Amino acid sequence: MVFQILRKEEFWRQADLAPHYDVVIIGGGGHGLSTAYHLAKLGVKRVAVLDKSYLGAGASGRNTAIIRSNYLTPEGIAFMNASLKLYEQLAAELNLNVLFSQIGRLDIAHTESTHFWLRQRVEYNRLMGVDSRLIEPHVVKQLVPQIDLREGKPFPIVGALHHPPAGVARHDGVVWGYARAADRLGVELHRFTEVTGITRENGRVTGVETAKGRVGADLVVSATAGWTSTIAHMLDFDVPIVTYPLPAFVTEPLKPFMHTTISSGELHTYVYQTERGELVIGGGVDHYPSYSHKSTLQMLEELAANAIRLLPKIRDVKVLRQWTGICDITPDYAPIIGPVDGIDGFILNCGWGTWGFKAAPISGKMTAELITTGQTPELIRSFDLNRFHEGRLINERAAAIAAAIH
Amino acid sequence: MTTDPRSPRLDPIPLELIDRSKTVEFEFNGRPVQAYEGDTVGSALYASGVRIFSRSFKYHRVRGMLCVSGNCPNCLMTVDGVPNVRACVQRVEQGMKVKGQNAWPGLERDLFSVIDRFRWALPVGFYYKGLYRPRALWNFSASLIRRLAGLGSVNLDAEEHRSKHRSYAHADVAVVGGGIAGMSAALEAAENGGRVTLVDDQPTLGGRLRYGSRHQLVNVDGGGDVTPPEAAYLLASRIAEHERIEVLSYSTVFGHYEGNLLGVRTPHGIVHLRGRHVVVATGAQEVPLTFERNDLSGVTLSTGIRRLINLYGVKPGNTALVVTTNDEAYYAALDMLEAGMRIVAVADTRPEYRSDLEAATILRSKGVLILPNYCMVRAEGTRTVIGGVVAEIGPDGMTGNERQFDCDTIAMSGGFQPSTALLHQAGATFMRDFDVDAEIPVKLPESVHVAGDVTAFHDPTISAMQGKLAGKEASLAVGALASDTKLSDLKHSLRESISAYRRRLLITPAPVDLAAGPRQFVCYCEDVLAKDVVQGVEEGFRDVQMLKRYSTVTMGPCQGKMCHKRFTEILASETDSTLTEVGSTTSRPPIQPLTLGELAGPMHMAFKRTPIHHRHLQANAKIAETGGWHRPHSYGDPLAEARAVRTSVGIIDVGTLGKLDIQGKDAPELLDFVYTHRFSDLRPGRVRYGVLTGDNGTIMDDGTVARLADDHYYVTTSTANVEAVEQWFQWWMADREMCAHVTNVTSGYSVINIAGPNARATLAKLTDIDLSPAKFRYMRVKSGDVAGVPTILLKIGFVGESGWEVHCPAEYGEHMWDTLLAAGDEFGIQPFGVEAQRILRLEKMHIIPSQDTDLLTTPFDVGADWVVKFDKGDFVGAGGLRLARDRGDRDKLVGFVMSNGVVPHDGDSVVDEANRPIGRITSSRLSPTMGKGFGYARVPAGLASEGKTIHIWAEGSPHDAKVTLSPFYDPEGKRLRE
Repeated sequence: MVFQILRKEEFWRQADLAPHYDVVIIGGGGHGLSTAYHLAKLGVKRVAVLDKSYLGAGASGRNTAIIRSNYLTPEGIAFMNASLKLYEQLAAELNLNVLFSQIGRLDIAHTESTHFWLRQRVEYNRLMGVDSRLIEPHVVKQLVPQIDLREGKPFPIVGALHHPPAGVARHDGVVWGYARAADRLGVELHRFTEVTGITRENGRVTGVETAKGRVGADLVVSATAGWTSTIAHMLDFDVPIVTYPLPAFVTEPLKPFMHTTISSGELHTYVYQTERGELVIGGGVDHYPSYSHKSTLQMLEELAANAIRLLPKIRDVKVLRQWTGICDITPDYAPIIGPVDGIDGFILNCGWGTWGFKAAPISGKMTAELITTGQTPELIRSFDLNRFHEGRLINERAAAIAAAIH
Repeated sequence: MTTDPRSPRLDPIPLELIDRSKTVEFEFNGRPVQAYEGDTVGSALYASGVRIFSRSFKYHRVRGMLCVSGNCPNCLMTVDGVPNVRACVQRVEQGMKVKGQNAWPGLERDLFSVIDRFRWALPVGFYYKGLYRPRALWNFSASLIRRLAGLGSVNLDAEEHRSKHRSYAHADVAVVGGGIAGMSAALEAAENGGRVTLVDDQPTLGGRLRYGSRHQLVNVDGGGDVTPPEAAYLLASRIAEHERIEVLSYSTVFGHYEGNLLGVRTPHGIVHLRGRHVVVATGAQEVPLTFERNDLSGVTLSTGIRRLINLYGVKPGNTALVVTTNDEAYYAALDMLEAGMRIVAVADTRPEYRSDLEAATILRSKGVLILPNYCMVRAEGTRTVIGGVVAEIGPDGMTGNERQFDCDTIAMSGGFQPSTALLHQAGATFMRDFDVDAEIPVKLPESVHVAGDVTAFHDPTISAMQGKLAGKEASLAVGALASDTKLSDLKHSLRESISAYRRRLLITPAPVDLAAGPRQFVCYCEDVLAKDVVQGVEEGFRDVQMLKRYSTVTMGPCQGKMCHKRFTEILASETDSTLTEVGSTTSRPPIQPLTLGELAGPMHMAFKRTPIHHRHLQANAKIAETGGWHRPHSYGDPLAEARAVRTSVGIIDVGTLGKLDIQGKDAPELLDFVYTHRFSDLRPGRVRYGVLTGDNGTIMDDGTVARLADDHYYVTTSTANVEAVEQWFQWWMADREMCAHVTNVTSGYSVINIAGPNARATLAKLTDIDLSPAKFRYMRVKSGDVAGVPTILLKIGFVGESGWEVHCPAEYGEHMWDTLLAAGDEFGIQPFGVEAQRILRLEKMHIIPSQDTDLLTTPFDVGADWVVKFDKGDFVGAGGLRLARDRGDRDKLVGFVMSNGVVPHDGDSVVDEANRPIGRITSSRLSPTMGKGFGYARVPAGLASEGKTIHIWAEGSPHDAKVTLSPFYDPEGKRLRE
C-alpha cells in the first residue's frame, strides 16, 4: 500500500494530432473520457478526445459529485443504478482511487405534496431493487442531529427519502482516472484543441475542424453537455436543450459533523460535508438561461439562506469559494444518447443537466456499445432524440427537483 | 507568560490603532488576556507572548503569525463559537471567548502532530493512488481522514439565526481600497461632483501608509513632505469632511458581479453596492519565500512585522534575520531596529548592494550586516525559530557558501502579489511584467479603473497619481466632469514616474532549491510542499488549473493569496513556459470568507394568508402549507367535514384561488389561444372549465373562466400557480400582439365555497338573487349583493354538490364567513378544510394538477378530451396535443376502487404480474361514502378500461383493485345541477 501511494507516474502522454481517427470525441469531460475508455476497451484502435480547455474544465470539474440512483422513472432508475454499480467498482477498474464514499442521501420533505413525490420514487426504487426508504422525522434526526424538528417553524420536516447507497466521489479523480486508463489503452487526449466546425460529405460526417487543423474521423461523438447547442448549430440540427448556469459553493473546512448528504427540493438546496471537512452547498439553477460561468450574488445569498433553513446551526460557517457550471437541460430532465436522423457518422451524448456526473460511467459504456455494435442497448433505448418529435417524453423532473428550473 | 498588555508594548506611536487608555479583557483557551481597545485578537495574543496560533491542516505543524492582514490561514481561531476566524484582524471585545482549533488536546501540545512524521508517506495526490483495494479499505480510510481533516468546529449550540441587514447602495464611483490610491481617487471623483462610496477593510483609512516608516516621506498633493501615517491622516480628514464621499470602513468587497455589482461585507450586514464606475485600489499582498521550515512560528512577512510594531505597538521579538527580494523589508528591519531589536543580517536576493536606498544606508550606518546576492536556505528550530541559514546565489541557484545566524524572528519578503481578484472577476486581462515580478492588467472593462499597488508599482507617489487619474477618468465617464485639460499632463507625468521607477533595480525572485530540505511550504493552508508541486507537474498536470486541482494549492482558506505567485513560478519553471503562458487560476468570490448567516440576510419568509385566516385559528384549524399559503387542513375531523357537505352544507375558504381579471378587446382571442378550450363563444353570464397546457401540450394548470361581459372575463387558477399563469398570459399577449389587460386580483377578493344540499337554503337567506335551479343554473355567474356586500357568485361544484363560490371584496371576508355560518346554523353548517375537499373532489373525479398530473400529462390522458378544441385554430400546445391524441400508448389516469380493505398511500405503485412497477397511485383516500379505499391511478393504456383489475403495491404486497372511468359519486352530475 505504501509502495502504491508513493509511486510517481505520468498520468497521460502528449501527442500531436493525427490526420485521421476511427472515432473523434468532442469534449474531455467525464462522458467523453468514459466513452473513449470503453471504446478502447472494446477494441477500437484510434480514438482521440478533443477538448477546448483542460480535461474536466466543464461540468465534470464543476459539479458537486453526488452519485445516487433514487430516481423517479423506470428508465432513470435502471440507468442511474447501473452507473452507481459501476462507481462501486470504478477505483479497481481504473486503478485510481476516485474517493467514492457511500455516505447515503436524504431527500427532505417539508410538505405533504413533496412527501407524495418522494413516495413515488421510493416505491419504484424498491420494486426495482434500489435501496430507498421513507423515514420519519425522528430517524432523520438520528442521521443528521443538526436538523431542526420543531413543528410550526417554516419548512418543517415531514419526512425524508433515505437512500443509503448514494455517495460522493472526487469529480476530478473520475476525470483523471478515465483519462489515464484511456491513455493506457492508446486513446489520444488533446487538450486545448477546440473544435470549430464539423466536416460533412454527402450527409455523412467526415471529421472536425480544430484550431490546430482539420482532423478526419469515421465517427464523431459530441459529449459537450452545456455547449451541445453550439455543436448542433455546426450540423444544422435542433436539440431541445436550454443551457442554464448552476451555482455551488464550498465553505472553509470544519471538523466532521455531517455524515450524509441532505437535500431539500422545496428549498432548492443540498448540503454535504466532504472528507476534507468543507461543506459543499448547491441547489437550483440560475433564474435565467446563459452560457456564463460567472457566479451571481443573488444565487449565493439564496443558497446560503436556504442552507440555514435546512441546518440552522451552520449559520456561522464561512463561505470559501463559489463557482458556476453550465447545464444542458432537456424538457423532460432525461438525457439524450444516440444518433441524429439524417446525420450519419455522428453520435450525440447530452442532456445531462444537473445529473451528468453520476451518469458518466454508464453513459460512456453504453455510448461505446452503441458505437461498436450499431445497436442501441436496452438501457438507453428511451433516451433517443426522436422521443421529442414523437411525444415519448420521460418525466424525471421530480428526481432532480433540487436543481430544477424554478 | 505575562498577561499584562503594558509591559511588552512599545512606546506609543502617533496614529496607532490601539487606545492605551482603555483595556479590554478576553479569554484565550480559558485563560484571561488583557488587551487595549483597538487591538485585534492576534495583536493582543502576540503581545501577551503567545507564539502558537494554530495547527496546520494536514500535518498539524505549529503555525505562528504570518501576514497580520487577514489573508493567510495561520491564525484561524474559534471566536465566540464561530470557527475559522482570522485572529489577526478580528477586533477584541470585552469577554470574548477565543479558542485554538485543529489540535488535541491543545495548540501547545497536539497529539495529531505525529502525522508530521509520516509526511514522506503522504505526497501529493497519495489518496488517488491507493487505499481502494479492497473496497472496504477506502471506507475505513475515509472515516479516518474525515476525523483528521477540518479546522474549526461548527457551534452546535448556536442560537437561532440572528437576522442580518441587507442593503442596496448606488454610487457614481465606487472605490475599493482606502490606501493612498483609493483615497486620491475618491477625493478627485468627489471634488469633480461625483457621488463616491469608498470601501476599506481596515478600521482607519490609509492602507499601508499607516504603518509606513518615518524614513519613507510622502508628498501629498504638492504639500510638504510628511511621514506616511501623517499623509494617511491628512487624506482621511479631507475624505471625512467631504459631503459626497461615503466611507464604509472595516468592510470588505468580497466579489465583483455582473454590472459592476460589488458584494460588500460590512459590520452591519451585506451591502449590494452598484457603482456606475469602479476604481479598484486593492493594493498588493506580500508573499512568503520558499525555504526549508518556512512555516515555523517566528517566520513572518515583513509587512506583518511592520503592522505589529506600528499599528499595535507590539515588539515582534529580540533578534531578527531579514530576508528579501525587494526594498520593502529594509523598512521592516529599520522598524525592528528602532523597536529595540537586534538585526543579525539583511539577506537580499538582488545581486548588488542598494546604495540608493536610504533604509539600506541607515541600516549599514548602524552596523547591520547587509548581504546582497544572498538567499534564505532554511530556518532552524522545531516549533519556533531559533536561527536561520542564508546562502550566496550562484549562476545555477544557491551555492554552498552558507552563513548561519541565531535569531528568534525571520522577517521575509518574497515580493508582492497584486490583489487583482476583483479585476479578474470584472473581466480584466493580464500579462506578466518582469520588471515588477507580477502580473499587471493590460485591458480593463470600460467602467473599471485601477490605481495603486494593485498595478504592481509599489510607490506612494505613483499610487497617488494613479488614484487621481482614475478619479478623473471615472468623473468624466459618469458625466460629473465635462472635460479636463490637465488629463494628458497627468498621464504624461505618470508615465515619466513609472519609467523612472522601472529603471530602479526592483526585485530578483528567489530561486527554489528542492535540495534545501523536505519542508518547504508553498501552500500553508493545505500543507503543500514545493516538491509536491514539482511532482504534480512531472505526473502530467502541466496546466495551472489541473495542477491546482491535483495539488490543492490555492484551494484552501487563503484562496491563493499566499501561494499563487510561487505556485505559478514553479509551474513555469518546470514546464519551461513563461508566466504569461502559465496564466493564473480563476479568482472566485468571495475574496474574503464570510458567513452563511451574513449572506442569508434578513431571511424574510413570505407566507400568504387569506382574509379569513384568523377565523380558522379561532376555530383551532390544523394549518397546512400548500402552494405558499397557510390554510386549514381540517378543523379536526376531515371525514366528518366531508360527510356534512354531502348531507347538509359546508363552507370552505378558497380565497387562495388565483384570480385574474381580464379585460379588453382581445380578451376572447387571448383565452382561446392560451387555453385548450374555446372561450370566445362563451356567452356572458356563463362559466366554463379551462385547461392550460404548455408548449408540448401537457397540463400546466386548470381553473374556471367566467365571462362577465363581452370584453371582460374573470379567471381562477390553482392556488400555487397564479403568478406563473399571469406571466404566461402576459408573455403570449406580447408575443401575439394582443390588446387586453390581465390583472392579478387574487388578494383583492375573499372567496368562500358553500356546498351541499342545504347550500341554497343557507345562501338564500342572505341575498335577493334568485337562486332557484331554473334561474341560477349550473356553470353560471351573477353579480349581486350577499349579506349586504357586493359579490360575484359562481355556480360551480368542485366537491360535487350544488354550491356557489362567493367572491367578495377581501375586506368583507370575515363578515361573509361569519354571516354564512350564522345563516347555516340551523342546518348544522360545517367549515371544511383542504383534506375534506380532497376527498370530496376525488369521489367526484375532479383532478388536481400536479397531484394527479405530472410533467407529461395531457388532457387526453386524464379523460378530458372534451376540453381540447382543435377546430378553433392554433393555440398553445396544439402540436403536442395532436401528437398525444394520435399515440395509443400513453398512460391514462383512471379511477380505482380497492377490492379489499387496504387504503393505499398517494404515491404507491401499480405493478404487473411480476410485481414490476407500471403505474402510480396519484390520489388515494378512504371513501366516506363507499367505506373503501379508492382514488386515481396512472396506468398503461391497456389497463385503462372500465372494470379491469389492476394490482396495487401497498404496504409490501400487491392488492387487487378495479378500474373505473366514471365518478364514484353522482356520475351523472345531478346533484350539481340541483
